[in-house]
Amino acid sequence: MPLNGTTYEYQPKDYKSDLKPIWCPGCGDFSVVAGIYRALAAIGRPPHEIAFVSGIGCSSRIPGYTTAYGFNSVHGRCLPIAQGIKLANPELLVLAAGGDGDGFSIGGGHIPHLIRRNMDITYIVMDNQIYGLTKGQLSPTSQKGRSTVTSRLGSLEDPVNPLLYVLAYGAGFVAQASPTDLAGMAAIIEEAIRYPGFAFVNIQSPCVTYGDESQQIKGLKAIQESLESLGHDPADRLAAMDLAQHYGSKLHLGVFYRNPAPPPTYGDLVKERQEQAAKDALPRERILELFIKK
Amino acid sequence: MAIRGIDFRTLSLMDALDLAILVEDEAQERYEEFAAQMEQHRTPEAARFFRFMAENEAKHGRELSARREQLFGRTARVVTPAMICEVEAPDYDAARAFMSPRRAMEAAFASEVKAHGFFVEALPAIRDAEVRALFEELREEEVEHQALVQAELAKLPPDSGLADEDFVDEPAAQ
Repeated sequence: MPLNGTTYEYQPKDYKSDLKPIWCPGCGDFSVVAGIYRALAAIGRPPHEIAFVSGIGCSSRIPGYTTAYGFNSVHGRCLPIAQGIKLANPELLVLAAGGDGDGFSIGGGHIPHLIRRNMDITYIVMDNQIYGLTKGQLSPTSQKGRSTVTSRLGSLEDPVNPLLYVLAYGAGFVAQASPTDLAGMAAIIEEAIRYPGFAFVNIQSPCVTYGDESQQIKGLKAIQESLESLGHDPADRLAAMDLAQHYGSKLHLGVFYRNPAPPPTYGDLVKERQEQAAKDALPRERILELFIKK
Repeated sequence: MAIRGIDFRTLSLMDALDLAILVEDEAQERYEEFAAQMEQHRTPEAARFFRFMAENEAKHGRELSARREQLFGRTARVVTPAMICEVEAPDYDAARAFMSPRRAMEAAFASEVKAHGFFVEALPAIRDAEVRALFEELREEEVEHQALVQAELAKLPPDSGLADEDFVDEPAAQ
């Protein structure tokens, strides 16, 4: 750790807490947290300048495994809480994380509002297509026909497509990663954090206990393809939406969309409004004049 | 991508030693993580083996560090942990709850093969004679590590042919 007045190059282990993860051995989330340590080291902000908020679920344990300020909050509510933290303390680097159920079922209604405000928050979804913590129920991203404890004869529902979901609402940064490429995943998370605004990273993170065979590492490797190798231009939103439609059949890794001209963040606009309002504001000792008629 | 931002053609001996130390550090850390996972999931035999591997990686790392210090003193390191990724460390996916010692050893063996492959692939690009000699030495050490794991495997009773999953209850529905 740095001493006052000295420069210090942060290493991934500086973001690793003493808490031992209790995920099942082989869980994709081990790679995700390792990718986050690497990304944070590359960004180089000290842990006390980072707030990490999650919802509920296996993956939502993740803030506890980092040395950042952490809040393992309420099911589906990590985004509004992260938003409150960011507005109250704009200097903090704010990360939000959770699973596909937390993000796209219980918390699905919160996502559009952070996108339309362009909140400067990085949202990482560990998408395993199942409710793992509660032992294998159908989740919003489970494939149609999937047999689970709550869909014995196969799911009748089409899955939510997380990539199209956020692209359609106008997210400025949308990417997908996988534990099949840890270094690539770390680079994508780093890029998401550096984006000035709402950044979404969908990570196909296999559940080794309740996950479908096709969603394990071997299955993911068989369908993965880097967007860069396809010659995809991340500034082309329509092309991104076209590629995002392959969610579930292909695993495209990389940045789908990065707004080349990011709009101001909500935090920037609030600050501007506060500065404007402060110009006309009465000094504190005259504040009662607003309420008392003379 | 196991390596990022390193050009083997221009790699100096000091950087090569630092890279090798980081490779050992990463593997040691990963084996320690695996041991902790096994302890968490009440799989003491596999945990013991992973601790054994972590100690081996640490020992090798210490030897390389001593050599580095003797040759280059405390000159600042240029190669960083971010530049290497899972060169010798087993993939996280290699661990499983209730894995048998045999399966743990097979996972470690696969990692030693992977590390050997890394040095084999890197060697043709290396121009510096001292770096080449070091990488050849490291490549041969990975072969020795494979033999070490194979020796541990040989101590096990014959394989029953049963998978670890055969001893685990089906997940209960809630």
